[in-house]
Amino acid sequence: MTREEVIATLKDVIRRAAPGALDPDAVSGDSTIEALGFDSLSLLDLAYDVQQAFGVEIDMETFMALRTVNDLVDALASRTRS
Amino acid sequence: MKRVRHLLEYALVRTALAIFDAAPLRACLCLSAGLANLYFLLDRRRRRTAIDNILQAGIRPTASGARRLARASFRHFAALVVESLKAPSCLTGTNWRERIDMHLPPALQSLLDEPSRGVILATGHVGNWEIAAQALSFVKPIVAIARPLNNPYVNRLMTRRTPDARFRVTPKRDADMRRLMKFLAEGNMLAMMIDQHAQKRGMMVDFFGRPASTHTAVALLPLVTRLPLCFGCCIRTGPMRYTVHAVGPIPVERTGDKDEDIARLLRRLNEELEAVIRRFPEQYLWSHRRWRPAPPAQSDTH
Repeated sequence: MTREEVIATLKDVIRRAAPGALDPDAVSGDSTIEALGFDSLSLLDLAYDVQQAFGVEIDMETFMALRTVNDLVDALASRTRS
Repeated sequence: MKRVRHLLEYALVRTALAIFDAAPLRACLCLSAGLANLYFLLDRRRRRTAIDNILQAGIRPTASGARRLARASFRHFAALVVESLKAPSCLTGTNWRERIDMHLPPALQSLLDEPSRGVILATGHVGNWEIAAQALSFVKPIVAIARPLNNPYVNRLMTRRTPDARFRVTPKRDADMRRLMKFLAEGNMLAMMIDQHAQKRGMMVDFFGRPASTHTAVALLPLVTRLPLCFGCCIRTGPMRYTVHAVGPIPVERTGDKDEDIARLLRRLNEELEAVIRRFPEQYLWSHRRWRPAPPAQSDTH
């Protein structure tokens, strides 16, 4: 899966996870997870949705280190490649 | 004005603590039972809430039976406070097994014996949750989420009384999910109350047959992290005597339907809690407003 495909899928995930709360098209690689409207609790929802959408598991250490969309894309890209 | 009230409350609590620390346990329990009876008579709102909850849950069929049970529940809560305050001086790493029986399934015991394995513990306001955390901390370091007391002076005082590094309490407002996951990654047990009203962010799940707004994090955590989930509580069997009941690891099924996966787990946890409450109804905190009208953001019931 290419980086662009990862971002496109991610926008779908965000659209489903927080319908109407934010504009997925405004999501950029530098957007922080918090800026997308995900707080401490909804972060878990996002993790579930991402795991389902990409069919991968993100280990806790990686998940905890995520700060921006680029971090998430990198984590997913490395897992979907392997 | 608020500061003066807080300081007055602090002085009262310090005095009460000094008495409780100096007096023998049985004397403290007698005193607390008397105070609980008095409180039951005076606090009409909580008394009514408790009686109504007992009747609605079908635990007692008559108002008089519900009233007796509600009073017993108030007395149990008073004993809980006394014994929780006494516990740091009574329970140590060497003597706790003389006072607390542990009934853990072998599979769960193996998980707790793995130092690097994080475990998610679901529990409720039944038995003595403070003692439960202290007892389990002798098996595995534990982190519990708690709402800080409204009075900051009393809150600081109570925090200082639980200095055990193996039992940490993290304030609810600081319970950032990243921090909680870090605790789990470090091999701690994370204890979460499943019977607190979750307001509009919760999922409506039946508890004693009535929908109650329920926090979803306790279900999402094992779904996302694949860490084991268990249910446990600590039932009082006598003065400073307890039995820990636990089940788990509870099977966690991932179907891809997030809401259904969460609801299934929450229903299972509520069933476990209900079963314990039916056995020991006088040890449940019935005065808590668990059932409130469905929040406007979500009205579906699972």
